[in-house]
Order: sequence, then C-alpha cells, then structure tokens
Amino acid sequence: MKAYGKLVHVELHRVRWLLAALMVLTLVIQVAALVWTARSGVADIREAETIGRSAFFSDDKLSFSWLIFNTQVLFALPILLSIAVLVLYVFLIWYRDWLGRSTFIYRLLTIPTARRNVYFAKATAVLLLILILISFQLILLPLEEWLFKLVVPSDLWEPSVFTDAILANQAFVWVIPLDGSRFLVSIGLGMAGVFALFGAILLERSYRIRGILLALLYLAACLTIVVYPLLTLGIDQTYSFLYPFEILLIELAIIIAVTLFSIWMSLRLLDKKITV
Amino acid sequence: MIEVDKVSKGFARKKVLRDVSFTVEKGQIVCLIGLNGAGKSTILKAIMGLTPIRSGRILVDGKKPDRRLYERIGYVPDHLTMPSSMRAVDALTFMEDFYPNWNASRAAELMSFFGLDFKERIGNLSKGTAAKLNLVLGLALDSDYILMDEPFSGIDLFSRERIAELFSGDMIDGRGVLLTTHEVGDIEHLIDKAVILNKGVVARSFDCDRVREEEGKSVVDMMREVLQA
Repeated sequence: MKAYGKLVHVELHRVRWLLAALMVLTLVIQVAALVWTARSGVADIREAETIGRSAFFSDDKLSFSWLIFNTQVLFALPILLSIAVLVLYVFLIWYRDWLGRSTFIYRLLTIPTARRNVYFAKATAVLLLILILISFQLILLPLEEWLFKLVVPSDLWEPSVFTDAILANQAFVWVIPLDGSRFLVSIGLGMAGVFALFGAILLERSYRIRGILLALLYLAACLTIVVYPLLTLGIDQTYSFLYPFEILLIELAIIIAVTLFSIWMSLRLLDKKITV
Repeated sequence: MIEVDKVSKGFARKKVLRDVSFTVEKGQIVCLIGLNGAGKSTILKAIMGLTPIRSGRILVDGKKPDRRLYERIGYVPDHLTMPSSMRAVDALTFMEDFYPNWNASRAAELMSFFGLDFKERIGNLSKGTAAKLNLVLGLALDSDYILMDEPFSGIDLFSRERIAELFSGDMIDGRGVLLTTHEVGDIEHLIDKAVILNKGVVARSFDCDRVREEEGKSVVDMMREVLQA
C-alpha cells in the first residue's frame, strides 16, 4: 500500500510539466476567447445604440451564460485537446518506460513490491490527471465570471445562473460534474477504456509482434461485447422485450465484467509474461 | 544459492537459451562469458523475472522467486535505468524510498569513491559516468546476491581498475556475484567460476583456480578453446 502511494507520486511527479502546460493552455485560450468575445459583444451593443436602436430590450445586455454560449468552440478546444493528450498519455505512461535511453521499466518491475502496485499506480495517475484538469476548469470558471464582469461595463452586464452558464457549453455538459450520474458515466467509461488500452499495451509488450495482433483482436472483442447488446436488445425501439433501464443495467454489468477481465489479464501478463 | 536449472527460452522459433544450468553460491564470483548475442543478458533478466522462460526453473536459496527476491538480489542492468529527467540524488532517493534494504551510507561512500556529482542530471551523464551510477544503485543494496550485466563496458581503464578494486574489497565480500562480460581480461584474477555460453548453450563451466593449477590454462585460453573450436 505504501509502495502504491509512492508510485502514484512518482508517476504524477513525472507528468507535472505536461499537466502544467495543459492548464496554462486552457487558461490562455479561454481568457483570450472571453476578453475578445465580451469586447466585441460590448462594441456591437454600443454600435446599435449609436444607430439609435433602443437599449430597452434585455438581449442588449450581456450575461456570463451568453458569453459561454458564444465561445463554444474556443472554450471546448482546450478540453478536447486535454482529452486527446490524456489518450496519448495512456500509451506514453507505459511506452516511455520501455523506449528511449533509460528504460525505467527494469527498475519499476524489480522494486520489492507486488507488480500490481505499478499497474494501479499508472491507472490512478491517469484518473488523477483527469480529475485535476476538471477541478482546474471548475476553479477557472468563477474566475472567468469575475473577469467577465471587469470587461463588461456595469450598465451592460446582466446576472445569470452559474449552472446555466455551464450548461451553455456542450463540452462542459459532459466533463463538469453538475449531474452526478452523467459525470460518473463519463469517468467510468473513460476509465474502462483506459483499462482496455492498458490490456492491449501489455499484450503488445509481452508478445511483441504477435502481441500487436493479439492487442487488436482483444480491443475488437471488448468493443463488440460492449456495443452488441446495445444494437440487438432494442434500446432504440419503442416495443422491445426489455425496458431501456434493464438494457442499461445489462450494459453496465457487461462493462464492469470486461473491465475486471482487462485488469485480471493485465496483472497476469505483468507477473508472468512481460519482457523488458 | 541461485540455481539455474535446465532453463530454455525462445523468441518465436529461434532458441535463445537451451537447457542452461549453473549455480551461484554466496561468496562466489561467477562470470558468464560469451560472445555478443550468446544469451548472457537474457539469463540475468530471466533470474530477475523480467522475461519469461519456456521451461526449466530458477531457484534462489531453494525457493521460487517472488517479490521479496528483489531485496535479496541487487541487479545492475547493462545500462542505467532511471528516467533522464531525474538528478543522481533523485535516483538515490527513489532507491531509498522503495528498497527496505537500501544502505544510504554505503551509497554515499560509493558516490565519493567514483567521484560522482549528486546534482548532475541523469540525461546529461556520459556513458561511463552513467555506468558508475548504475553500479552505485546496485551495490548499495544490502543483498545476498548481485547480478551485473557487462559492468565494464564503456568504462575507461582507470575506472575499470577501481571497479575491480571493489570486487576484492568488502563491498562484495560474502555476497554471491553473477556477472556477464565479453572482455574477461581485467577481472580474470577475481572470478571463482566461469560459465562459457555459446549460442544459448553452456559450452563449458569450470572452476578457474582448478583449471589454472591443473591444466595451466587461463580463462581466455579456455574461451579460445571453446568458442573458436
């Protein structure tokens, strides 16, 4: 247990600069989008005023949810980029220990602790990266609201409900834990995917060239097992044998089973078959 | 005692090791000798559980290796296996964090013995300096056995002499040492037993002193006899 904690620390310590870079990128892109959009919004209203249109209508005022709605792409961009980097990192977290000049995997696999600690430390590091980035976005949003108030003159500023603002961006809806169950589904599916990829990576690392084929077959099998019931049990039909809730329950059981199998297989490979 | 018993291993259809057997006892320095690609490194990795074997068995003090094995055997791979972003001092801290048998004072002693700088980044180390730090990480463990893969390769003449000095000093005293090399010259006088490996097979295994006294042959003579035959 102690070794596991220390290994998580080692993993996070190694990725700290990447994490910082993603945070800075998110901050810079979102703040730039915020200032630019808010300013042009203000300019548009002022221009309308000088032409003589009355400023009585409430849509001539700017709220934070208006801003979030009008910065869709630019606010989502750093989030999508972070997700892409995290997916790459799932591969990197193993391969960087094998490839390159220093093959740290020799050391990781010969520390006097169960190898599952190395495996779970890597999985935990990925999960923590996801949670840290989401927390960062959560902290960033109120700061951005405050900044928005500074940029927009008080006579044009209008209050809005914070959750409305979050719901105005399609990317936030999935990654920000407003709706507990939806958030758990996002994170749960994400981690199930991480464990499946870990399994594929360890197959390749254990059997090398033959392992690539095994890994692809394994991923295809995982995907088929998970997707097949969704297509055949008739969740999209009005009249089907099972209620949608029951189908989702079956789906959940399947995903949990596939994930447990992935973990069991990975640990076995790491113990018996891995080659450095 | 480390027992390697009829160990075989193959990659795809190519046999890398075939029925390899030998033992390393505590207090004994055993040298695995062979040309490049003879399977020396693979044997060390197999003992450390870093590559699976197809058949045969490996026992350490009569027991199958488990995770506690890594406290009993120090392993010095043929290259330094710490992330290049770490400093030397971080590598030592890592070892101290994870190995209950880490001997910090011996590590400090070895660092000064080799004249290593604690603050140097691992990525910036020259090949020879990295090899020295690698030895520090392996030798500063209080272990019963030490496996060393080509500890002399890439190291300059004077440092080689210093390492050879370690072998005869108390740093090694009482431990079982298994090392591989393809240039046996420097350490010939230190080794107790030589195992000559040729294309994955043990071609000859002998007690160095006995061969020297009874047959008047050096290890290099034996190598010539076996490998050039």
